[in-house]
Amino acid sequence: MKNHTILMPALFLMLFPAVTIGEDFLGAPVVPHIRTIQKTETRLEILSDLTHDDALAFYREALREEEDIKFRDWKDATYIEDDGNREWHSVTISKEGKEGTEVVITKDSWTWIIGTLILRYVGVFVVLLLLFLGLKISGAFISRAIAKMDVKKDGS
Amino acid sequence: MNIYEITDLFRGILHTTGVFNFQWKLIIMWGVGSLFMYLAIAKKYEPLLLLPIGFGIFIVNFPLVPLMGYSDGHAQLIEVFYHYGLEWEIIPCIIFLGLGAMTDFGPLIANPKTLLIGAGAQLGVFITFTGTVLAGFTLKEAASVGIIGGADGPTTIYLTQHLAPQLLGPNAIAAYSYMAMVPLIQPGIMRLMTTKSEKRIRMRQLRPVSKREKILFPLVTVGIIALLVPSVIPLMGMFMLGNLMKESGVVERLTETAQGALMNIVTIFLGISVGATMHADSFLSWKPLFIFSLGLIDFGVCTAGGILTVKIMNLFLKEKINPLIGSAGVSAVPMASRVSQIQGLRYDKNNHLLMHAVGPNLAGVIGSAAAAGMFIAMFD
Repeated sequence: MKNHTILMPALFLMLFPAVTIGEDFLGAPVVPHIRTIQKTETRLEILSDLTHDDALAFYREALREEEDIKFRDWKDATYIEDDGNREWHSVTISKEGKEGTEVVITKDSWTWIIGTLILRYVGVFVVLLLLFLGLKISGAFISRAIAKMDVKKDGS
Repeated sequence: MNIYEITDLFRGILHTTGVFNFQWKLIIMWGVGSLFMYLAIAKKYEPLLLLPIGFGIFIVNFPLVPLMGYSDGHAQLIEVFYHYGLEWEIIPCIIFLGLGAMTDFGPLIANPKTLLIGAGAQLGVFITFTGTVLAGFTLKEAASVGIIGGADGPTTIYLTQHLAPQLLGPNAIAAYSYMAMVPLIQPGIMRLMTTKSEKRIRMRQLRPVSKREKILFPLVTVGIIALLVPSVIPLMGMFMLGNLMKESGVVERLTETAQGALMNIVTIFLGISVGATMHADSFLSWKPLFIFSLGLIDFGVCTAGGILTVKIMNLFLKEKINPLIGSAGVSAVPMASRVSQIQGLRYDKNNHLLMHAVGPNLAGVIGSAAAAGMFIAMFD
């Protein structure tokens, strides 16, 4: 048991040295990688030789004690999103890489915040617009049914 | 027994009283609680809620009172109400059940295009979100503060409890306070944003709505909302169940209970639990004060959003809508409708806008719930 308690952290340090040496992009931990695809002030794209599941385990461990972090499981990627006030906004770990696992870290930006707010505001309109259409259609359907019933009554 | 032992005995007794644990900041909270009770009793501002909220603030801000916490592993009285009622998100949903059982959606069904006004009036919710993030709040906190402008108490409580429970007290109180102050806040904005001729627009009398349409309405609404914004179905589902119970006319006993006794019981628990969350230690900081000031702007922008939506709609409509009913898109049923009616009568003594304003008013309830659903979906 004692051996395990020493071995497990050691194994983790070997597997994920970035956690220990504190390599990060905008404060987000960076998974060990073989190649940097693109690096700007707001975006880092890297290619890692870790599998998707290992990269995900790396981030789960690295962000274990952080608050307001959401892990979203998408069809083609795992999307890690910060809902707090961190400098980075998201980490996307792809599931479909051929040469390796692609990891993209993006900066928290007002473009994202404003963009999502506008979309959601439009979304409220869409919901109520569809409700309007639903009411119009059901209203027309009922009116027609009542008119038919009245005609039948008059006929009999 | 010597003099020291007697002194120790008295000291021991005194330390179990509140006097020895008194803090001056508690007096401020007594003032806040008393203010809410004064507004409820003397000014009749939302008394059903502001009275128990005020009392909750007052009573919880005494030292050592066993109300909001745990003693010997057992939850104390208001902690139990809070835990099962609010943390479990039950009370807002039951209130929506009661509201549904009290609501006649006839005016909205008769003029469904007013639904869009309810959407437009959510403008402030999204603008306030941005301002709150700029002030250093987290995104979840910003969403819960933004929804105050929707002027829907249960929705504000539901969303805040879901995303930022630490802000429950200030958010709920800001929402209910501004709802109570609708007659003070809205008229100025309404006058500013409309021309004299717009204020005098007369709207055609609403068509009668059949019972079948009224029965179908909750089913169509809940179906569409469930498909598009499933996260808000606990609220909207209960709202529409209450309405279906009312409109079906076959469960009068249940309807009476939902709109009467049940609603009253949960209102008591809601009020006192929300008030009790406002202890001096958590309330006396810059955040609640910021929420109160931003909430006012939020409410103003939502009012303006509703009026603006009507003006835009009028560009395309043959039969114009009086923009004075746009302000009713902020929920706050039925106060906002009454404000539209009063303002309409000021400019034309025979122009009764009340029933026309009920449509956007109810659309505001659905709109704010949809906005809350959008935020929950964003973070869940």
